[in-house]
Amino acid sequence: MEIIEVATGLRKTVIISKAEDEDFKVLTKSRYSFAWRSFKTQTKVYKLQIKGKDDILGVVGLIDFPDERRIEIKLLATSRENIGKNKAYDRIAGCLIGFACRIAVAQYGEDACVSLVPKTTLVKHYMTRYHMLNAGWQLYLEGKALNQILKEYIL
Amino acid sequence: MSAKKNHTPEELAEALVFPVALTPAQQKEAAKQLAAARKKTRQEITDNDKLALQLLQLKFQLEDYIENKEYDPEKHFGYFLKKYIEILQVKRKVFADDISIDETLLSQLINKHRTPPDHISIRLELHSNNIIPADYWFKLVEKQREHRIKTDRGLRKKERKFVHKLAVSL
Repeated sequence: MEIIEVATGLRKTVIISKAEDEDFKVLTKSRYSFAWRSFKTQTKVYKLQIKGKDDILGVVGLIDFPDERRIEIKLLATSRENIGKNKAYDRIAGCLIGFACRIAVAQYGEDACVSLVPKTTLVKHYMTRYHMLNAGWQLYLEGKALNQILKEYIL
Repeated sequence: MSAKKNHTPEELAEALVFPVALTPAQQKEAAKQLAAARKKTRQEITDNDKLALQLLQLKFQLEDYIENKEYDPEKHFGYFLKKYIEILQVKRKVFADDISIDETLLSQLINKHRTPPDHISIRLELHSNNIIPADYWFKLVEKQREHRIKTDRGLRKKERKFVHKLAVSL
């Protein structure tokens, strides 16, 4: 998995791993948009770091629904300096979404599905940027769309 | 200042998923909608996409196993090879022909009766159209060897007579 340093165009290998208790001390709302500590029990929280570096550049909270063979992205954030036109790195959110797809496929194979409940104003952008399919209240990735995300961000 | 106020919707969608809370009624409706949409997607999925996802599942399971420190005697080279052939839904004879090996050798590999030579891993990589890299198969064999070298008491007993002096006493 790789992200791109916008200033240089260099690709950097990233590692996504489970957030440890210690990490929640630095996962502040001011830098990571949400109060991550309050989602610690409700979701499995994963952090994205450049290989060999300590700084956390992105975080995602996932919920597994085994009966539906589905993983829900409950919340996701790139660090504050990586949002918008002046961001330092590109592809952080894509790698985190790809990671959710990887977990879903490892567990559920051809039936795997990844979903999220979007803010209404962002729906069309998720669909354009991350190939998401529209299911009314929710957006989802399954089948071909899921394959596309894996190809773009994981493989 | 909040990210919401400083960025366009496009920029926000590129970087954030907000934790949206639905009411119980909305949740019920959302579940119904998603089930219906997924049913349609599944009906339209091509055999090729289905096969790609099944092979990726095997790849990720293999990846997770070789990265995991734990050794599982059941998860040997042959176990994953058997799964690979099952996904492809081909007869062993046909598969053996596909990668130009004898069917007997294939059975020996599956049943753990023979250590796979390096070229088999390369052929499997090529056969999977690079979905499962050769080094994954190779690492499986290595993991098995590593476990054996760490735990084989018989081998230690056998070799002891060849070591006449210890470097240090602990």
